[in-house]
Amino acid sequence: MKAIRDMSTGELAAFICSHLKKYEIDVVLSGGSCVSIYSNNKYVSSDLDFVDNQYFIRGAKVRDALSEIGFYEENRYFKNSETDLLIEFPPGPLSVGEEAVKEVAILKYTTGELRIISPTDCVKDRLASYYHFDDRQCLEQAILVARDNKVDLAEVERWSSHEGKPDKFAEFKRLFEKRKT
Amino acid sequence: MLEPLLGSTNAERVLVFILTRNEGYVREIARVLGGDPDSIQKQLAKFESGGVLVSRTAGKTRLYSFNPRYPFLKELRGLLEKAVSFYPESQREALLMNRRRPRRRGKPL
Repeated sequence: MKAIRDMSTGELAAFICSHLKKYEIDVVLSGGSCVSIYSNNKYVSSDLDFVDNQYFIRGAKVRDALSEIGFYEENRYFKNSETDLLIEFPPGPLSVGEEAVKEVAILKYTTGELRIISPTDCVKDRLASYYHFDDRQCLEQAILVARDNKVDLAEVERWSSHEGKPDKFAEFKRLFEKRKT
Repeated sequence: MLEPLLGSTNAERVLVFILTRNEGYVREIARVLGGDPDSIQKQLAKFESGGVLVSRTAGKTRLYSFNPRYPFLKELRGLLEKAVSFYPESQREALLMNRRRPRRRGKPL
């Protein structure tokens, strides 16, 4: 097994996800680190956001499991001396905007199996920040993921309308088409 | 009114305030709806860490508003709106009838 210090973002996330699974803690990677993974690190995130998919897991159980692999809690984050990546457990449920995430992707690494939101949900997740907070960085991240992965744009369009943001989707699509080639 | 559901009067104060004013800060919420500022602060922090609220700073003031990405926001708003409709007139006015238009600095009242 690789040392934590030598693991890529995906490898470390898979290692943590599989380790927690041994303790029946079912988590799914969401947020900016999914952009790192789906864009081959064209965007680098500083934390791993794992959403607890069962809702009622006790904090002590997570703390005990993570301490076994050298992570300690500090201000709601978990740190490890071998990596600068921080682990966070944002509050659930696993959702993009108003809708629940229904399908979770699984990526296999030598360090373990990573449960992660799909590229399509990753694009929605980033667009949600663009739609609601006008965050242009997140718009750029959504374009990166859509360019490098198989993304269901019709589904993203349906979701965008449901979020009440068809105009902003049109702007995303215009930029995406422009940069696709 | 929603205390049995939300667990505390301060939780209701904070959410109702933000529903009616769109955003708010600790001292303002405490002044309008009563309550101890420290307890209001703790409640705001709790809602922020639970993903219900988000905050930003304006100068030295931390302003809280609903997190537009909170998946139950529409339903939460509906519940709070109904609660506010049961509030006494004086309290509804205190929440809703505040000056929102700009006031030039130095302008006499």
